[in-house]
Amino acid sequence: MPLNFRVELIWKDTDQREAASIFLTSDGRVILQGRAVSAQERKDLSLPANADMISIDRKLSRAIKDML
Amino acid sequence: MFLRNAWYVAATDREVGRTPLRRIIMNEPIVMYRTEAGAPVALEDRCVHRHLPLSMGKLVDGDILECLYHGLCYDTTGACVKVPGQQSVPPGARVKSYPMVERYHWVWIWMGDPALADPATITDFHWLDDPNWGATHRYLHVKGNWQLVVDNLLDLTHLAFVHTTTIGTRALVNAKVTVDRSPNDVRVTRWTIDAPAPPTFIKAGGFTGNVDRWQIVHFTPPSFVRLDVGATPTGTGAPEGRRIGGISMRNLNAMTPETETTTHYFYGQAHDFDIHNPKTTEMIIDQITTAFLEDQAVFEAQQANMLQVPDAPQVDINADTGVLQARRILDRLYAEEQAALAQRTAAE
Repeated sequence: MPLNFRVELIWKDTDQREAASIFLTSDGRVILQGRAVSAQERKDLSLPANADMISIDRKLSRAIKDML
Repeated sequence: MFLRNAWYVAATDREVGRTPLRRIIMNEPIVMYRTEAGAPVALEDRCVHRHLPLSMGKLVDGDILECLYHGLCYDTTGACVKVPGQQSVPPGARVKSYPMVERYHWVWIWMGDPALADPATITDFHWLDDPNWGATHRYLHVKGNWQLVVDNLLDLTHLAFVHTTTIGTRALVNAKVTVDRSPNDVRVTRWTIDAPAPPTFIKAGGFTGNVDRWQIVHFTPPSFVRLDVGATPTGTGAPEGRRIGGISMRNLNAMTPETETTTHYFYGQAHDFDIHNPKTTEMIIDQITTAFLEDQAVFEAQQANMLQVPDAPQVDINADTGVLQARRILDRLYAEEQAALAQRTAAE
Protein backbone atom coordinates (compact mmCIF):
# COMPACT_ATOMS: atom_id res chain seq x y z
CA MET A 1 0.00 0.00 0.00
CA PRO A 2 1.76 3.16 -1.09
CA LEU A 3 1.83 6.05 1.32
CA ASN A 4 2.27 9.38 -0.42
CA PHE A 5 2.79 12.21 1.93
CA ARG A 6 4.77 15.27 2.47
CA VAL A 7 5.89 16.67 5.78
CA GLU A 8 5.75 20.34 6.65
CA LEU A 9 8.15 21.40 9.40
CA ILE A 10 7.31 24.52 11.37
CA TRP A 11 9.93 25.72 13.80
CA LYS A 12 9.11 28.14 16.63
CA ASP A 13 11.55 30.19 18.64
CA THR A 14 11.36 30.70 22.40
CA ASP A 15 9.10 33.68 21.67
CA GLN A 16 6.82 31.39 19.64
CA ARG A 17 7.55 33.24 16.41
CA GLU A 18 7.59 30.85 13.46
CA ALA A 19 10.19 30.43 10.79
CA ALA A 20 9.06 29.81 7.20
CA SER A 21 8.06 26.19 6.71
CA ILE A 22 10.37 23.49 5.39
CA PHE A 23 8.76 20.80 3.24
CA LEU A 24 10.00 17.24 2.90
CA THR A 25 8.54 15.46 -0.12
CA SER A 26 7.94 11.77 -0.64
CA ASP A 27 10.42 11.79 -3.50
CA GLY A 28 13.24 12.94 -1.25
CA ARG A 29 13.35 16.70 -1.88
CA VAL A 30 13.65 19.43 0.73
CA ILE A 31 11.72 22.53 -0.30
CA LEU A 32 12.33 25.90 1.33
CA GLN A 33 10.58 29.23 1.16
CA GLY A 34 12.67 32.18 0.14
CA ARG A 35 12.98 35.14 -2.15
CA ALA A 36 14.63 34.90 -5.53
CA VAL A 37 17.87 36.85 -5.68
CA SER A 38 17.55 39.64 -8.22
CA ALA A 39 19.99 40.40 -11.01
CA GLN A 40 20.99 43.64 -9.28
CA GLU A 41 21.73 41.83 -6.03
CA ARG A 42 23.84 39.32 -7.89
CA LYS A 43 25.82 42.15 -9.44
CA ASP A 44 26.20 44.09 -6.18
CA LEU A 45 27.24 41.02 -4.20
CA SER A 46 29.30 39.40 -6.95
CA LEU A 47 27.13 36.34 -6.88
CA PRO A 48 27.01 33.81 -9.72
CA ALA A 49 24.91 35.17 -12.58
CA ASN A 50 23.46 31.94 -13.81
CA ALA A 51 22.84 29.69 -10.80
CA ASP A 52 19.40 29.44 -9.17
CA MET A 53 19.65 31.32 -5.90
CA ILE A 54 17.24 32.24 -3.13
CA SER A 55 17.61 34.43 -0.09
CA ILE A 56 16.24 32.89 3.09
CA ASP A 57 15.53 34.33 6.49
CA ARG A 58 18.07 33.70 9.27
CA LYS A 59 15.32 32.14 11.35
CA LEU A 60 14.86 29.56 8.61
CA SER A 61 18.54 28.72 8.69
CA ARG A 62 18.17 28.09 12.43
CA ALA A 63 15.14 25.89 11.74
CA ILE A 64 17.18 23.92 9.19
CA LYS A 65 19.93 23.40 11.73
CA ASP A 66 17.52 22.34 14.48
CA MET A 67 15.15 20.21 12.48
CA LEU A 68 17.04 18.54 9.64
CA MET B 1 18.97 7.94 29.71
CA PHE B 2 16.48 9.17 32.31
CA LEU B 3 15.42 12.75 32.95
CA ARG B 4 15.09 12.84 36.71
CA ASN B 5 13.85 16.36 37.43
CA ALA B 6 10.36 15.72 36.12
CA TRP B 7 7.05 14.35 37.31
CA TYR B 8 6.22 10.80 36.24
CA VAL B 9 3.19 8.62 36.78
CA ALA B 10 4.09 6.07 39.43
CA ALA B 11 0.76 4.28 39.83
CA THR B 12 -2.97 4.56 39.34
CA ASP B 13 -5.00 5.88 42.25
CA ARG B 14 -6.60 2.48 42.77
CA GLU B 15 -3.21 0.75 43.13
CA VAL B 16 -2.02 2.81 46.09
CA GLY B 17 -3.68 1.91 49.39
CA ARG B 18 -2.84 0.69 52.84
CA THR B 19 -1.02 -2.38 51.52
CA PRO B 20 2.51 -1.37 50.50
CA LEU B 21 3.05 -1.51 46.74
CA ARG B 22 6.47 -2.12 45.21
CA ARG B 23 7.48 -0.65 41.85
CA ILE B 24 10.88 -0.10 40.19
CA ILE B 25 11.20 3.35 38.61
CA MET B 26 14.41 4.37 36.84
CA ASN B 27 16.16 1.38 38.39
CA GLU B 28 15.20 2.52 41.90
CA PRO B 29 13.02 0.26 44.06
CA ILE B 30 10.12 2.26 45.48
CA VAL B 31 7.42 1.40 48.00
CA MET B 32 4.14 3.31 47.89
CA TYR B 33 1.24 3.46 50.29
CA ARG B 34 -1.37 5.86 51.63
CA THR B 35 -1.47 7.53 55.00
CA GLU B 36 -4.60 7.14 57.08
CA ALA B 37 -5.57 10.59 55.83
CA GLY B 38 -5.28 9.31 52.25
CA ALA B 39 -2.08 11.03 51.11
CA PRO B 40 0.23 8.93 48.92
CA VAL B 41 3.74 8.27 50.17
CA ALA B 42 6.78 6.98 48.27
CA LEU B 43 9.95 5.73 49.94
CA GLU B 44 12.99 3.79 48.87
CA ASP B 45 11.95 0.14 49.02
CA ARG B 46 14.96 -1.11 50.93
CA CYS B 47 15.52 -1.39 54.65
CA VAL B 48 18.83 0.27 55.54
CA HIS B 49 19.58 -2.61 57.92
CA ARG B 50 19.74 -5.66 55.63
CA HIS B 51 18.19 -4.46 52.35
CA LEU B 52 14.87 -6.29 52.56
CA PRO B 53 12.16 -4.54 50.57
CA LEU B 54 10.04 -2.54 52.97
CA SER B 55 7.07 -3.41 50.76
CA MET B 56 7.16 -6.88 52.29
CA GLY B 57 6.37 -5.28 55.65
CA LYS B 58 3.22 -3.63 56.93
CA LEU B 59 1.82 -0.37 58.23
CA VAL B 60 1.64 -0.08 62.00
CA ASP B 61 0.62 2.68 64.41
CA GLY B 62 -1.05 4.62 61.62
CA ASP B 63 1.46 5.55 58.95
CA ILE B 64 4.64 3.84 60.16
CA LEU B 65 6.11 1.24 57.80
CA GLU B 66 7.55 -1.73 59.67
CA CYS B 67 10.17 -3.95 58.05
CA LEU B 68 9.22 -7.63 57.90
CA TYR B 69 12.70 -8.82 58.82
CA HIS B 70 13.74 -7.17 62.12
CA GLY B 71 10.94 -4.69 62.67
CA LEU B 72 12.74 -1.42 61.92
CA CYS B 73 10.13 1.30 61.55
CA TYR B 74 10.10 4.25 59.14
CA ASP B 75 7.94 7.34 59.07
CA THR B 76 6.58 9.05 55.96
CA THR B 77 9.73 11.15 55.56
CA GLY B 78 11.85 7.98 55.35
CA ALA B 79 13.43 8.43 58.78
CA CYS B 80 13.92 5.27 60.83
CA VAL B 81 12.06 6.00 64.05
CA LYS B 82 12.38 2.70 65.89
CA VAL B 83 14.82 -0.17 66.16
CA PRO B 84 13.35 -3.03 68.18
CA GLY B 85 15.56 -4.07 71.04
CA GLN B 86 17.41 -0.78 71.45
CA GLN B 87 16.69 2.71 72.60
CA SER B 88 18.67 4.61 70.00
CA VAL B 89 18.30 4.84 66.26
CA PRO B 90 21.66 4.80 64.42
CA PRO B 91 22.51 8.15 62.84
CA GLY B 92 21.91 8.10 59.11
CA ALA B 93 19.25 5.42 59.38
CA ARG B 94 16.98 6.82 56.74
CA VAL B 95 15.66 5.86 53.34
CA LYS B 96 15.04 8.22 50.44
CA SER B 97 11.60 9.75 50.20
CA TYR B 98 10.06 11.05 46.97
CA PRO B 99 7.55 13.86 46.48
CA MET B 100 4.14 12.51 45.41
CA VAL B 101 1.02 14.20 44.07
CA GLU B 102 -2.32 12.65 43.14
CA ARG B 103 -3.97 14.07 40.05
CA TYR B 104 -6.17 12.82 37.19
CA HIS B 105 -6.61 9.38 38.84
CA TRP B 106 -2.87 8.91 38.65
CA VAL B 107 -0.28 9.15 41.42
CA TRP B 108 2.74 11.19 40.31
CA ILE B 109 6.30 10.93 41.61
CA TRP B 110 9.32 13.24 41.35
CA MET B 111 12.53 11.28 40.93
CA GLY B 112 15.04 14.12 41.04
CA ASP B 113 15.99 16.91 43.41
CA PRO B 114 12.97 17.32 45.74
CA ALA B 115 13.65 21.06 46.01
CA LEU B 116 12.72 21.40 42.34
CA ALA B 117 9.44 19.46 42.56
CA ASP B 118 6.65 21.90 41.63
CA PRO B 119 3.20 20.29 41.22
CA ALA B 120 2.19 23.14 38.92
CA THR B 121 4.41 21.60 36.25
CA ILE B 122 2.51 18.30 36.13
CA THR B 123 1.36 17.73 32.56
CA ASP B 124 -2.32 18.38 31.93
CA PHE B 125 -4.35 15.18 31.59
CA HIS B 126 -7.61 16.70 32.82
CA TRP B 127 -9.75 14.70 30.36
CA LEU B 128 -9.33 11.69 32.66
CA ASP B 129 -11.50 13.25 35.38
CA ASP B 130 -13.41 15.96 33.52
CA PRO B 131 -17.23 15.69 33.79
CA ASN B 132 -17.52 16.74 30.13
CA TRP B 133 -15.72 13.57 29.00
CA GLY B 134 -16.27 9.85 29.42
CA ALA B 135 -12.90 8.40 30.31
CA THR B 136 -11.00 5.50 31.78
CA HIS B 137 -7.43 4.30 31.96
CA ARG B 138 -5.30 1.15 32.01
CA TYR B 139 -1.72 -0.02 32.42
CA LEU B 140 0.70 -2.13 30.43
CA HIS B 141 4.12 -3.40 31.46
CA VAL B 142 6.33 -3.21 28.38
CA LYS B 143 9.60 -5.08 27.97
CA GLY B 144 11.00 -2.24 25.91
CA ASN B 145 12.69 1.12 26.41
CA TRP B 146 10.30 4.03 27.08
CA GLN B 147 11.50 5.97 24.05
CA LEU B 148 10.29 3.21 21.74
CA VAL B 149 6.77 3.94 22.99
CA VAL B 150 7.17 7.70 22.48
CA ASP B 151 8.51 7.07 18.95
CA ASN B 152 5.52 4.88 18.15
CA LEU B 153 2.98 7.48 19.24
CA LEU B 154 4.70 10.28 17.33
CA ASP B 155 4.68 8.41 14.04
CA LEU B 156 1.20 7.16 13.33
CA THR B 157 1.99 5.87 9.84
CA HIS B 158 2.30 2.47 11.51
CA LEU B 159 -1.48 2.37 12.09
CA ALA B 160 -2.15 1.25 8.53
CA PHE B 161 0.14 -1.75 8.95
CA VAL B 162 -0.04 -2.80 12.61
CA HIS B 163 -3.65 -1.95 13.57
CA THR B 164 -5.72 -3.02 10.61
CA THR B 165 -8.64 -4.35 12.71
CA THR B 166 -9.03 -1.27 14.90
CA ILE B 167 -7.62 2.18 14.20
CA GLY B 168 -5.76 1.67 10.95
CA THR B 169 -7.07 1.76 7.40
CA ARG B 170 -5.70 -0.01 4.35
CA ALA B 171 -7.07 2.54 1.90
CA LEU B 172 -4.62 4.51 -0.16
CA VAL B 173 -3.71 7.49 1.99
CA ASN B 174 -2.51 10.86 0.83
CA ALA B 175 -1.48 12.41 4.09
CA LYS B 176 -0.06 15.83 4.69
CA VAL B 177 1.86 15.87 7.93
CA THR B 178 2.80 19.05 9.77
CA VAL B 179 5.45 19.00 12.48
CA ASP B 180 5.39 22.02 14.78
CA ARG B 181 8.53 22.23 16.86
CA SER B 182 8.79 24.62 19.80
CA PRO B 183 11.82 24.62 22.11
CA ASN B 184 10.21 22.14 24.51
CA ASP B 185 7.46 20.37 22.65
CA VAL B 186 6.51 18.81 19.34
CA ARG B 187 3.10 18.61 17.68
CA VAL B 188 2.52 16.31 14.70
CA THR B 189 -0.71 16.95 12.83
CA ARG B 190 -2.12 14.69 10.17
CA TRP B 191 -5.33 14.94 8.22
CA THR B 192 -6.80 12.28 5.99
CA ILE B 193 -9.60 13.68 3.88
CA ASP B 194 -12.50 11.80 2.32
CA ALA B 195 -11.28 8.32 3.28
CA PRO B 196 -12.99 5.33 4.90
CA ALA B 197 -13.19 5.41 8.68
CA PRO B 198 -11.20 2.78 10.58
CA PRO B 199 -13.15 -0.02 12.34
CA THR B 200 -12.93 1.56 15.82
CA PHE B 201 -14.35 4.82 14.53
CA ILE B 202 -17.18 3.01 12.73
CA LYS B 203 -18.09 1.24 15.99
CA ALA B 204 -17.88 4.44 18.02
CA GLY B 205 -19.34 6.92 15.55
CA GLY B 206 -21.56 4.80 13.36
CA PHE B 207 -20.03 6.22 10.19
CA THR B 208 -21.49 4.79 7.01
CA GLY B 209 -19.52 6.83 4.49
CA ASN B 210 -16.14 8.45 4.13
CA VAL B 211 -14.78 10.77 6.79
CA ASP B 212 -12.34 13.61 7.33
CA ARG B 213 -10.08 12.39 10.11
CA TRP B 214 -7.55 14.20 12.28
CA GLN B 215 -4.66 13.05 14.43
CA ILE B 216 -2.91 15.74 16.43
CA VAL B 217 -0.11 14.23 18.48
CA HIS B 218 1.42 16.41 21.18
CA PHE B 219 4.67 15.40 22.85
CA THR B 220 5.89 17.09 26.02
CA PRO B 221 8.98 15.95 27.86
CA PRO B 222 9.94 13.76 29.39
CA SER B 223 7.55 11.12 28.15
CA PHE B 224 3.97 12.36 27.69
CA VAL B 225 2.08 12.03 24.45
CA ARG B 226 -1.47 13.32 24.19
CA LEU B 227 -3.45 12.69 21.05
CA ASP B 228 -6.45 14.65 19.84
CA VAL B 229 -8.14 12.28 17.39
CA GLY B 230 -11.48 12.07 15.71
CA ALA B 231 -13.48 12.24 12.52
CA THR B 232 -16.52 13.84 10.98
CA PRO B 233 -18.46 12.92 7.85
CA THR B 234 -16.38 14.15 4.95
CA GLY B 235 -16.92 17.66 3.68
CA THR B 236 -18.52 19.03 6.86
CA GLY B 237 -15.68 21.41 7.62
CA ALA B 238 -13.49 19.64 10.16
CA PRO B 239 -10.20 20.89 8.64
CA GLU B 240 -11.59 24.43 8.95
CA GLY B 241 -12.36 23.86 12.64
CA ARG B 242 -16.01 22.68 12.46
CA ARG B 243 -16.24 19.32 14.21
CA ILE B 244 -19.90 18.57 13.58
CA GLY B 245 -21.68 15.25 13.58
CA GLY B 246 -18.61 13.18 14.33
CA ILE B 247 -16.56 11.92 17.22
CA SER B 248 -13.71 13.42 19.15
CA MET B 249 -11.42 11.55 21.52
CA ARG B 250 -8.26 11.97 23.47
CA ASN B 251 -5.72 9.21 23.75
CA LEU B 252 -3.50 9.97 26.72
CA ASN B 253 -0.12 8.34 27.31
CA ALA B 254 2.35 8.58 30.17
CA MET B 255 5.43 6.40 30.00
CA THR B 256 7.50 5.89 33.12
CA PRO B 257 10.88 4.20 32.75
CA GLU B 258 11.28 1.12 34.90
CA THR B 259 14.75 0.27 33.60
CA GLU B 260 16.60 1.03 30.37
CA THR B 261 14.75 -1.88 28.76
CA THR B 262 11.35 -1.93 30.47
CA THR B 263 8.57 0.62 30.86
CA HIS B 264 5.46 1.28 32.92
CA TYR B 265 2.94 2.39 30.30
CA PHE B 266 -0.07 4.25 31.71
CA TYR B 267 -2.67 5.16 29.14
CA GLY B 268 -6.17 6.53 29.10
CA GLN B 269 -8.91 7.24 26.61
CA ALA B 270 -11.52 9.99 26.79
CA HIS B 271 -14.49 10.64 24.49
CA ASP B 272 -16.81 13.63 24.13
CA PHE B 273 -19.85 11.68 22.86
CA ASP B 274 -22.15 9.36 24.86
CA ILE B 275 -20.11 10.42 27.87
CA HIS B 276 -22.34 8.89 30.54
CA ASN B 277 -22.43 5.43 28.98
CA PRO B 278 -19.80 3.19 30.63
CA LYS B 279 -20.32 0.56 27.91
CA THR B 280 -19.14 3.07 25.30
CA THR B 281 -16.16 3.99 27.44
CA GLU B 282 -15.22 0.33 27.88
CA MET B 283 -15.77 -0.51 24.22
CA ILE B 284 -13.45 2.24 23.11
CA ILE B 285 -10.68 1.42 25.53
CA ASP B 286 -11.01 -2.26 24.67
CA GLN B 287 -10.39 -1.32 21.03
CA ILE B 288 -7.43 0.86 21.99
CA THR B 289 -6.04 -1.90 24.21
CA THR B 290 -6.26 -4.35 21.30
CA ALA B 291 -4.14 -1.91 19.28
CA PHE B 292 -1.74 -1.26 22.15
CA LEU B 293 -1.18 -4.98 22.68
CA GLU B 294 -0.16 -5.11 19.02
CA ASP B 295 2.23 -2.22 19.70
CA GLN B 296 3.55 -3.98 22.80
CA ALA B 297 4.54 -6.96 20.66
CA VAL B 298 6.37 -4.55 18.34
CA PHE B 299 8.22 -2.76 21.18
CA GLU B 300 9.32 -6.00 22.77
CA ALA B 301 10.55 -7.42 19.48
CA GLN B 302 12.42 -4.18 18.76
CA GLN B 303 14.04 -4.22 22.18
CA ALA B 304 15.06 -7.86 21.86
CA ASN B 305 16.72 -7.14 18.52
CA MET B 306 18.44 -4.05 19.88
CA LEU B 307 19.87 -6.10 22.72
CA GLN B 308 20.95 -8.80 20.31
CA VAL B 309 22.75 -6.35 18.02
CA PRO B 310 23.33 -3.23 20.10
CA ASP B 311 25.56 -1.41 17.62
CA ALA B 312 23.40 -1.88 14.54
CA PRO B 313 22.71 1.46 12.79
CA GLN B 314 19.22 2.68 11.94
CA VAL B 315 17.94 4.65 8.98
CA ASP B 316 15.48 7.52 9.36
CA ILE B 317 12.71 8.31 6.91
CA ASN B 318 10.48 11.36 6.42
CA ALA B 319 7.85 9.94 8.73
CA ASP B 320 10.36 10.07 11.61
CA THR B 321 10.56 13.86 11.60
CA GLY B 322 8.42 14.33 14.70
CA VAL B 323 10.20 11.48 16.47
CA LEU B 324 13.61 13.00 15.76
CA GLN B 325 12.53 16.41 17.05
CA ALA B 326 11.32 14.84 20.30
CA ARG B 327 14.60 12.98 20.71
CA ARG B 328 16.58 16.18 20.15
CA ILE B 329 14.58 17.94 22.84
CA LEU B 330 15.23 15.08 25.24
CA ASP B 331 18.95 14.97 24.41
CA ARG B 332 19.20 18.69 25.11
CA LEU B 333 17.27 18.49 28.39
CA TYR B 334 19.36 15.54 29.52
CA ALA B 335 22.61 17.36 28.73
CA GLU B 336 21.37 20.41 30.67
CA GLU B 337 20.39 18.27 33.66
CA GLN B 338 23.75 16.50 33.69
CA ALA B 339 25.60 19.82 33.44
CA ALA B 340 23.65 21.25 36.37
CA LEU B 341 24.35 18.13 38.40
CA ALA B 342 28.06 18.28 37.62
CA GLN B 343 28.15 21.93 38.61
CA ARG B 344 26.39 21.21 41.89
CA THR B 345 28.70 18.29 42.66
CA ALA B 346 31.76 20.41 41.96
CA ALA B 347 30.45 23.16 44.23
CA GLU B 348 30.00 20.67 47.07
